[in-house]
Amino acid sequence: MAEQLFKVIGKSAVRNDGYAKVTGKAVYAADRQVKNSLFGVMVRLPVAHARINRIDYSPIEGHPGLIGICDFSDIPGDPYIGPIIKDHPVFAEEKVLSVTDAVAMIVGADVRLLRKLAQKIEIDYTALPVITEPLQALESGAAVLHNNKPDNIIVHHELHKGDTKKAFDSCRHSLERTYTTPFIEHAYIETEAVTAELSPLGSVIEITGSIQNPYSTRKMVAEVLGFPLSRVRIRQTTLGGSFGGKDDVMGLLSARAAIAALKTGKPVSIMLEREESIRESYKRHPYIIKYKAGFNDDGRILAMEADMIADGGAYASKSPFVTFRSFVQGTGPYEIENVDINVRAVYTNNIYTGSMRGFGAPQPIFAHESFMDEVALYLDRDPLDIRLINRLRTGSITATGQKLDNHEVTVGKILTTAAERTNFLEVWRKNLAHAKPIEHSQGELRTGKFGNQTYVLPIEYFMDPDEVWRKGIGLAVSYRGCSLGAEGTDAAASYINIQADGSINLQCGLAENGQGLQMTQILIASEVLGVSPNTITYLDIDTGTVPDSGPTVASRGTLMGGEATKRAAVILRKRLEALIRHEWNLQEEAEILFANGMVSSPADLDRSINFTSLCRLAFSRSVSLSALGWYTGGMVSWDEETGVGDAYFTYSYSCNVAEVAVNRVTGQVIIERVTAVHDSGKIINLDMAKGQVCGGVVQGAGYGLWEELTGDDGKVRELNFDEYLIPTSVDVGEIVPIFVEGKDPHGPWGAKSLAESAIECAAPAISNAVGNALGERFYNLPLNLEEVLLKHKLRPAQKKRGSAQ
Amino acid sequence: MIPVRRAGTMEELLQALDDRKQRVCPIAGGTDVVPGLRGNLRRFADYTRLIDISSLSPLQGISVDGDFLKIGSASTFTDIVNNEEVGQKAPLLAEACSRIGSEQIRNRATIGGNVVNNAPCADSIPALLVYDAQLVVRSIETERRVKLDDFLLSPYRVNKSDNEVVTAFCLPLLKSNMEGFYYKLSRRMGASISRLTLALLMETESDRIREFRFATGAVTAVATRLPQLEEKALHRPCTRDEFISLARSLGQCIEEMTGHRWSSAYKLPVIQQLFFQMLQKTYLNILRGK
Repeated sequence: MAEQLFKVIGKSAVRNDGYAKVTGKAVYAADRQVKNSLFGVMVRLPVAHARINRIDYSPIEGHPGLIGICDFSDIPGDPYIGPIIKDHPVFAEEKVLSVTDAVAMIVGADVRLLRKLAQKIEIDYTALPVITEPLQALESGAAVLHNNKPDNIIVHHELHKGDTKKAFDSCRHSLERTYTTPFIEHAYIETEAVTAELSPLGSVIEITGSIQNPYSTRKMVAEVLGFPLSRVRIRQTTLGGSFGGKDDVMGLLSARAAIAALKTGKPVSIMLEREESIRESYKRHPYIIKYKAGFNDDGRILAMEADMIADGGAYASKSPFVTFRSFVQGTGPYEIENVDINVRAVYTNNIYTGSMRGFGAPQPIFAHESFMDEVALYLDRDPLDIRLINRLRTGSITATGQKLDNHEVTVGKILTTAAERTNFLEVWRKNLAHAKPIEHSQGELRTGKFGNQTYVLPIEYFMDPDEVWRKGIGLAVSYRGCSLGAEGTDAAASYINIQADGSINLQCGLAENGQGLQMTQILIASEVLGVSPNTITYLDIDTGTVPDSGPTVASRGTLMGGEATKRAAVILRKRLEALIRHEWNLQEEAEILFANGMVSSPADLDRSINFTSLCRLAFSRSVSLSALGWYTGGMVSWDEETGVGDAYFTYSYSCNVAEVAVNRVTGQVIIERVTAVHDSGKIINLDMAKGQVCGGVVQGAGYGLWEELTGDDGKVRELNFDEYLIPTSVDVGEIVPIFVEGKDPHGPWGAKSLAESAIECAAPAISNAVGNALGERFYNLPLNLEEVLLKHKLRPAQKKRGSAQ
Repeated sequence: MIPVRRAGTMEELLQALDDRKQRVCPIAGGTDVVPGLRGNLRRFADYTRLIDISSLSPLQGISVDGDFLKIGSASTFTDIVNNEEVGQKAPLLAEACSRIGSEQIRNRATIGGNVVNNAPCADSIPALLVYDAQLVVRSIETERRVKLDDFLLSPYRVNKSDNEVVTAFCLPLLKSNMEGFYYKLSRRMGASISRLTLALLMETESDRIREFRFATGAVTAVATRLPQLEEKALHRPCTRDEFISLARSLGQCIEEMTGHRWSSAYKLPVIQQLFFQMLQKTYLNILRGK
């Protein structure tokens, strides 16, 4: 289909679910009133690591408000869950390894009463030393958190390409830097809610809730209950945000609710308040990342070493896959001949970490994009130049030995587009010429007049008003493997059912998590069938009706689900074409046109039929108008031993340029503008694509400047949004999305991934911009007030919550 | 669950507060009380009843009353920001109120609540302090006036009995045209809690400081005027060196009051720099105005 002929693809379309959501009419999981539903409340220990000696329920047993108690002894099937490694107990048995662990769940009709009763259960435990730092977990003699992993290493990915030692020896220059990134909360506006109940005949457990990945949840629940998959049915309610966050945690909560529903014979709901949600749910991995590069005066990087340590928290969750992506994309979008990469995920007693939008990419991208700027400065070159010299091109070989020759590699194109649109080089040079570091003695104790220690500033440090603000511009570029790649089986289904009146039902095996997936599928079917998007009604996802399409993760909704939808629509269109040819006595090769709800053929210009009449005709002729589209993506390959292979079948490319103003007195950073250039292949819904970019930039800006969960002996301090600061609508200036549509043979019309690319470049672009403004570098996210001013974080000594000074 | 009812008249409110069998907490916007109750904060734990005062007309209204600008305690921050009299007579207060929380918070939260709650970071207090605000406090038996400085005791504690309610704030009208500056530092722009707030009123005569009022918020345990510093400022020449000297005095003054806290390494240098900026800008504005 030639580009100019698109009717709806690539244009802006109003979302099918927009009106209900904006007007508050959409029903979310916690809005559902399930008749006679009981509620479950978790029982936890106040420590992150302990041995449980004895649990005494007797203080609450027999209380009329208590209907049931569920703990490890109530689990009919597998007591451990985990998408990759089954190490996560549904209820703790002998030990707790983090503050998220539930020792039991008590069930009754009154949540408030249950919360009080939960406090009365007497648990005798022995507190154990709490490991909060991954480096501490790696020390010899450190406590072993999982017996089958004596070194506390969840996974270690390692690759060696070329000969780095020889290459480093041959280079004139080498540079080494270390970066750190924090724990991040997904901050979805809707907290977790789920209800489990038995089907009317009692044979199926039905789970309805705020579930990102219905098939993953179904698998976990089935294993915990010891049920076959066919007896677990998952329905997703309208989701109030997820960002990768309603995956494992919903499997766990669904399993607990299901156990309680089986035990009590009644529906059981779990609905978390914000503090419970932040405590119960996994986070983005903090990383410690070391980059070392060898290069000569020409700017070409000949050798690179990357060493990353990810804090996996108490359970493996998605750590092996998250770190796999960090590992594959470890060099950034650069072609380097000699590469050593080591990535380890480590157990600690922190809250476990798992999938979050970006999935192991934002951490190394912050590091390598900061690092590339430093290489440029070291060589007296500019950030654009150093990236263009080293960039991946079509035909380049990646660190894992993959030849990028099946699609257009657009790193150069997006870099130059972004630089031209922002006048990058000129602005960058001008800013650097005016840049002025913040005097580091700020915040340093010095000896005062009477020998006392004082923070009173020496006279020479006072800044005149024209010294306070400095402008900065910064660049970051990335590449991203689309979909699951070698992480797992990649296939998706879509089901289209055309009714006799020409109206259409559409259901995709991938889930609407707020990203606009439904409308994307609708537009794709609408384009193929030549009907208005309004004739297509999208039905909510239900594991009982659509085949397992894997999780809705890895920015695979448009690429995988969209192609499955397109294929389903093409199957139906072909059936209708055959019918028309037969009815109109046309030759087999006669072209049939579907447009604007009308069907016609250039072979017989006298005839046409509207889509509705054609469907009616098809029904009267017993033509089946339902079809399942199935897409398995492109080829991937992987050798676990050597770290070599075609890790992902295609890649998308992104670049952010951030323009900031920095206050040298306070350390405040004002984000004035972010220009985001993306090659995500063909854009399906332009408005939603822009929305993805704007949302991603804001979330990425939060990563850059504000967001950080801090711990206190494994406990999270920031349990609500008064303390965990996400950007508001007034905190990020103008965002300019630009799409460069590189050619790609995969996906619907060459559409690929955008959702996660959108978040990953903002933080390093902002950090590089602050660096440009001040003429100094930053290594530790977030660049909050203290980090910018003092080059380190300040933490309250007093550990209690509240608006501490 | 705590019962709540709406007070229809002032009399009804004062009687309810005087009920010795109950501990009654007045609630207007609820932006401190409701999260406090939800979070089981100790200072709200003993209350057995809430009484809604948000629609009591004697607590509403902003007007010039003789030598005072009078602001009803149940005025919301949006009311204050939109009021022309406040804009003219107490611009620093208008500025302070416009930066509190978010639009939604400002539509509900009241100035009375902000002051009675007395959080160290309460945004309106430093501005009220430099205007020498007085409070009108009523009980069923008495009505008294108290200076704001004397009303603020310690974090989250104020000089008010359980049977009393703050009905209004009275700001003496400035006799001369003082130049002012309000500064709020927060981690982000929207829905932000102050890291520190500074309010300054200044008047000069022959390039020397003639009158000087300065208050800080979120720096010391409760927001406060700094009389020692104000005294030092009087009659000083308006020069860069003198301003630096004053800023360093402020640093010493705060350091003496607070000692070294976890946040001092950041806040102490920053407050000195900010104060220096403020002095220079305020003086520049005075020169421009002349």
